[in-house]
Amino acid sequence: MFRYNLSLALASLQQRPGLTFLVILTLAIGLGLYTTVQTMAFYNSSVPVAHKSENLFLIQVDSREASAEPITEQVSMVDTTYKDAMNLQQWQIPGVTTSLNWNTNGVINVLDNNVPAIRSEILATNSHFFSMFETPFIYGSGWGSEEDSSGAGVIVISRAMNDRLFGGENSVGQLLRIDTLNLKVIGVMADWTITRRFYDRSFAPGYLHEFFVPYRFALNNDLPRNARFNCWSVETQDNPQFRTENLQRLLNSECSWISFWAEIPDQQLATYQTQLGNYIESQKALGRFPREPQMYVTHLQDQVNYYGNRNGYINTFKMISRLFFAVCLLNAVSILLAKFIRQSREVSLRRALGARKTTIIYQYVLEVVLIGFMGGLLGILVSKIGLWGMLNIRLYAVDYTITAQSIAHQYQLNWLLIGEAFLTSILCALLVSLYPIWRVCNISPATQLKAE
Amino acid sequence: MLKMENVSKIYRTELIETHALRKVDLHIKAGEFVAITGPSGSGKTTFLNLAGLLETFEEGDYYLDGENVRGMNDNQLSDLRNEKIGFIFQSFNLLADLPLYQNIEVPLRYRGLSQADRKQRVEQALETVGLASRAKHLPTQLSGGQQQRVAIARAIAGEPKFLLADEPTGNLDSLMAQQVMELLEKINQSGTTIIMVTHDDKLARRAHRNIQIFDGQVSDLEYSVADDIVKRA
Ligand SMILES: Nc1ncnc2c1ncn2[C@@H]1O[C@H](COP(=O)(O)OP(=O)(O)OP(=O)(O)O)[C@@H](O)[C@H]1O
Ligand SMILES: [Mg+2]
Repeated sequence: MFRYNLSLALASLQQRPGLTFLVILTLAIGLGLYTTVQTMAFYNSSVPVAHKSENLFLIQVDSREASAEPITEQVSMVDTTYKDAMNLQQWQIPGVTTSLNWNTNGVINVLDNNVPAIRSEILATNSHFFSMFETPFIYGSGWGSEEDSSGAGVIVISRAMNDRLFGGENSVGQLLRIDTLNLKVIGVMADWTITRRFYDRSFAPGYLHEFFVPYRFALNNDLPRNARFNCWSVETQDNPQFRTENLQRLLNSECSWISFWAEIPDQQLATYQTQLGNYIESQKALGRFPREPQMYVTHLQDQVNYYGNRNGYINTFKMISRLFFAVCLLNAVSILLAKFIRQSREVSLRRALGARKTTIIYQYVLEVVLIGFMGGLLGILVSKIGLWGMLNIRLYAVDYTITAQSIAHQYQLNWLLIGEAFLTSILCALLVSLYPIWRVCNISPATQLKAE
Repeated sequence: MLKMENVSKIYRTELIETHALRKVDLHIKAGEFVAITGPSGSGKTTFLNLAGLLETFEEGDYYLDGENVRGMNDNQLSDLRNEKIGFIFQSFNLLADLPLYQNIEVPLRYRGLSQADRKQRVEQALETVGLASRAKHLPTQLSGGQQQRVAIARAIAGEPKFLLADEPTGNLDSLMAQQVMELLEKINQSGTTIIMVTHDDKLARRAHRNIQIFDGQVSDLEYSVADDIVKRA
């Protein structure tokens, strides 16, 4: 019976090819837009280093002066002071590793005079950055704890920059300059397809750092500090320009400006939190932390969820695409109804000749599944075009300050999304056909067979 | 056999109730050839629809081949229709885009017969109606009379016990009507019970038994031989 019904379903698809195509197209356009937005939302809320995103914590303690405004939300809490970052990274808790970072910048140039110099952001960080956040490498690797303490001139660069500066060759061991400082390339990162720059708390979509140097190197050479300093008022009275000057004073100050991360296994979390509480108390005894003790140990997953839900324009798009999809589906109902009702006479004849109502339903469900499948195929094509359009809108919106290559992965369908689109298509096709099928299977055999 | 006891059918629309059949009591024996006549709108088609399980009825009992069909669900009725009943319509009702073979095959498909079984039955049915060489033709390539013979082939391919025909010759000229009638008689002789609605007295009279429906009521008509002679004259 399956084969017979399938052949009837196929014949029915071909019977009014115009109508069939119209249903498929309606479904595909609605689905295409929906999938486009779903894809963007997917990347928007996709979690970097997902498999341990609940073990990677941003550590924040409230080191501000007594008169500061109260803070009730993790996102508003200040970063970490240099003092605290140094103290916290001393802790020896089994399984716990920590990483810190801040933004710097410089003019990058290589020995080859044919390659133009580039002004670029640089991330100052420690060796654990690469292992904690699992950055992929094509050549070499990150540096080790030795460079962390010595501040040796080593640098990790992105694949894009390796292409640009070294023509894509394995550049490990090659020399590179930040302004006039010599550094040796120690690793070349593969494309790190994370959707948000989470590690410096900016959660900026798209842009990743292209250069990474040991933070000790940045300090030793007084590279600029592109940070937001949160200082006690006594420390900023004389406008100290911490970005480029007064490094030693900054390091000794109560200004917070460093992102501090800890990877903590589940079983150590309670220990870590207790120890952090004790730390605040012990520092209080030294005259620091004048406020009520307040700390945040927030895992990456929570932070991503926060930014994902807050993305207003994606949410608006989501709503519009759902509405549009619903309108398309309603439209599909009426086209299907027209298509099926045309076959009333044939259906009633088949019923008279012994087809059960359920057999008729079976036949039409098969037809609808085929329609859903083709709608899915075409819809995926439409969404590919949609995503291409969105990528270009995005590039236009940022004035082409980023390359298409660096964000293209956020506008790419993956198998999960494709599978979801197919399932959605088939389920929606079945949904919209409920009424038309109900109508067609309830056609009374008697009334349709009378003489014309 | 086919037996109705006290069967009534009422059509209700917003404005009126039509008593299409009123308390029908009828017993048709296996192998009979019954002709039904009556004025237009008297309920003939309604009767065939009930007999053929295409419509349900409000009151009474209906035994088809010994089984009371009252209260049967759609699946049971569909299966019964498929196995026991063949329909012939005034307007043929062939599927225009299917070749004859596939048209005749439809009821056999729904019965779930194997391909070999289907082939054998379709070929035999085509043979019976004299269109064996036309299996691959489309209905539109045939004359009206031939189309009706295809419809008959479809009706008998499943070897049903009952053949219900609603004015099978209504759309045909007298010569073709003649051929169709002969075909039906041949089929009846091989044991199939036939119930045929017709407006044609001459054809009606060739049946074993004449039933008249008048305003929803069924009664047997007895022709006297004298009557016959008078009418023929
Ligand atoms: N589906 C329906 N809804 C409402 N009334 C109906 C329906 N089918 C038939 N009728 C009514 O029932 C009565 C009997 O109709 P039926 O078709 O059985 O007559 P008939 O004897 O076959 O007539 P004809 O010789 O013209 O074919 C008529 O009054 C008709 O109007
Ligand atoms: Mg009629």
